[in-house]
Amino acid sequence: MFDNEELLKETKSQALNSETVGNIHVDDPRIIAKNINVFYGDKPAINNASIDIGKNEVLAMIGPSGCGKSTFLRCLNRMNDTIDTCRVEGELFLDNENILDKKTDVVSLRAKVGMVFQKPNPFPKSIYDNVAYGPKIHGMAKNKIELDEIVFKSLDKAGLFEEVKDRLDAPGTSISGGQQQRLCIARTIAVSPEVILMDEPCSALDPIATAKIEELIYDLKKNFTIVIVTHAMQQAARVSQRTAYFHLGNLVEVGPTSKIFTTPQHKLTESYITGRFG
Amino acid sequence: MNMTVILITLVLLAASSYYVGLKKSVSIQKSEKLHSAPIYHGSLIAIYSLIVSLLFISMWRLFENYLYPEFSLSKNLIFFLSLLVFLITALIVFLKIEKNFRAREKVENIIEIFLLICSTVAILITIGILLSVIFEATRFFSMVPITDFLFGTHWSPQIPIREDQVGSSGAFGAIPLFTGTFLIAFIAMIIAGPIGLMSAIYMSEYATKKTRDIIKPLTEILAGIPTVVYGFFAVIVVAPFIRSSGEYFGLNIASESALAAGLVMGIMIIPFVSSISDDVINAVPQNLKDGSLGVGATKSETIVKVIIPAALPGIIGGLLLAISRAIGETMIVVMAAGMSANLTANPLEAVTTVTVQILVLLVGDQEFDSPKTLAAFALGLVLFFMTLILNYVALNIVRKYREQYE
Repeated sequence: MFDNEELLKETKSQALNSETVGNIHVDDPRIIAKNINVFYGDKPAINNASIDIGKNEVLAMIGPSGCGKSTFLRCLNRMNDTIDTCRVEGELFLDNENILDKKTDVVSLRAKVGMVFQKPNPFPKSIYDNVAYGPKIHGMAKNKIELDEIVFKSLDKAGLFEEVKDRLDAPGTSISGGQQQRLCIARTIAVSPEVILMDEPCSALDPIATAKIEELIYDLKKNFTIVIVTHAMQQAARVSQRTAYFHLGNLVEVGPTSKIFTTPQHKLTESYITGRFG
Repeated sequence: MNMTVILITLVLLAASSYYVGLKKSVSIQKSEKLHSAPIYHGSLIAIYSLIVSLLFISMWRLFENYLYPEFSLSKNLIFFLSLLVFLITALIVFLKIEKNFRAREKVENIIEIFLLICSTVAILITIGILLSVIFEATRFFSMVPITDFLFGTHWSPQIPIREDQVGSSGAFGAIPLFTGTFLIAFIAMIIAGPIGLMSAIYMSEYATKKTRDIIKPLTEILAGIPTVVYGFFAVIVVAPFIRSSGEYFGLNIASESALAAGLVMGIMIIPFVSSISDDVINAVPQNLKDGSLGVGATKSETIVKVIIPAALPGIIGGLLLAISRAIGETMIVVMAAGMSANLTANPLEAVTTVTVQILVLLVGDQEFDSPKTLAAFALGLVLFFMTLILNYVALNIVRKYREQYE
């Protein structure tokens, strides 16, 4: 046995002002984050994080609670704008455009960078209307037939169509938690985003529903870039190609998932992965 | 010896009996383990004796006042008898105190019964009010046919004393009153509904915390202004304003109009609509809003397509509560809309409402055998049922809303 508090004290001093270990760059980046700093009021939440996110890859972000991984994720589609006290500094490029720029149109950004949330949050509308919501807003379908096609395709891609095809008029809140989460994924992919952000998408689900979502993530990778925040390390190991480890607002280590989970270079990453804290 | 002295004495006795019970159980506790804590033994003696002696007094009063007046005793005797009852009860409970005596359970039971009584008081009083109104209203309906009352279109409640008296036909058609009531409530809701809802949307979705902290309390001040003050406002500011702007367009508007009363009433009920709507809009979970924003919806799209539909039942509930408030309002109407019972849908004319007529009928000298006075109760009964139904519907909608996200 070891003394957790001692360990935490030690790791705190290690974490401060440390450079990110591992290769943060990829050959074919979709998103490039440069020197991202986030503050809630005066309190820093993310410290100078830089990372590339590649095309058609699944990047997993792991780390103990409060380490800033969700905050970083929410920077990628400017969801942090909804929090009054939150301030983001740095540069974030998506298709050569700095999305942190004040001039960026947040609405079209969020259509390009979709998000799936921790708790399934279907609207209190029918299953069909849940999926049709985004396409309708963005005027993606000229008529009902096109809209039907988008809705059915999205449900199909989310692996939900077979289960709900007979009750598309049922309220989105009437299906099971796992189905609801896949409905939310269908809703997100209905507006054909380029990037999908997932904030602990399975934390409210049972193991079977979780397995389904993980399979889905694996399939979605072909068409989308996916960034997933997760607390379950096995999940990160199963679904992702690259893993980023956050600790107390610092991006500590980035690397191929296989490497992070077998031979982590940073001491903090190793302690987290071996379960010394979390 | 008057009742106050008796009561004070009993309460003092209860306090000392509490102490006695406490003492005895504490002394038992020194050697043995008690079932209940000492304070329960003390409380039980005090509460039991007090209840029994008070019951005794009230039973006795009932007995001598209504049943056998000839047995009337002097007040002093009652006083001593009640003290005796108190002491006997206290002694009985005192003797029962021992280590296995379950005082705690008994005290808890008494508390439960007491709470039950408190919670039924409101219901019983409502039933009482209803019965008294129904009783007088049936007397009215025995003089005036109920169909004449509910479907008559002419309201002129003066009963003629002489054959040839002018303006006293004794007609009790309530339709003009109800149309007047609904006209004014309708105007009020046209004002309060949109303004209240919009301000709720602004406060819950757009305003910064600072702005909200300023605007919300200020809006709620509107609800605290006495209605008679709104009446002044209607008479002195709004009615002349409507009149002069009507003249500008060549309209001849009476200085008392449904519009003036409705406008001011609308202002009065804005806070009902806005603060209930604000609450239900805030109750829409943040993750629903995030979900909508997350697929690229704008703030206003999110509000119109997700937040309002989700909050709609609650908002409707708030609107219905505001309507029942508008229907019951009297003072503004008396001052601004007049008292003449016109059957009209024109908001520029003077109208009157149910509550105003109740007031008019009951002010001054009354005889409780004339239909004029009793008509007030019939009006009250109908009004009671209308607001009851509205409140019932409103509460049900609000309850349904609660189930939606849980």
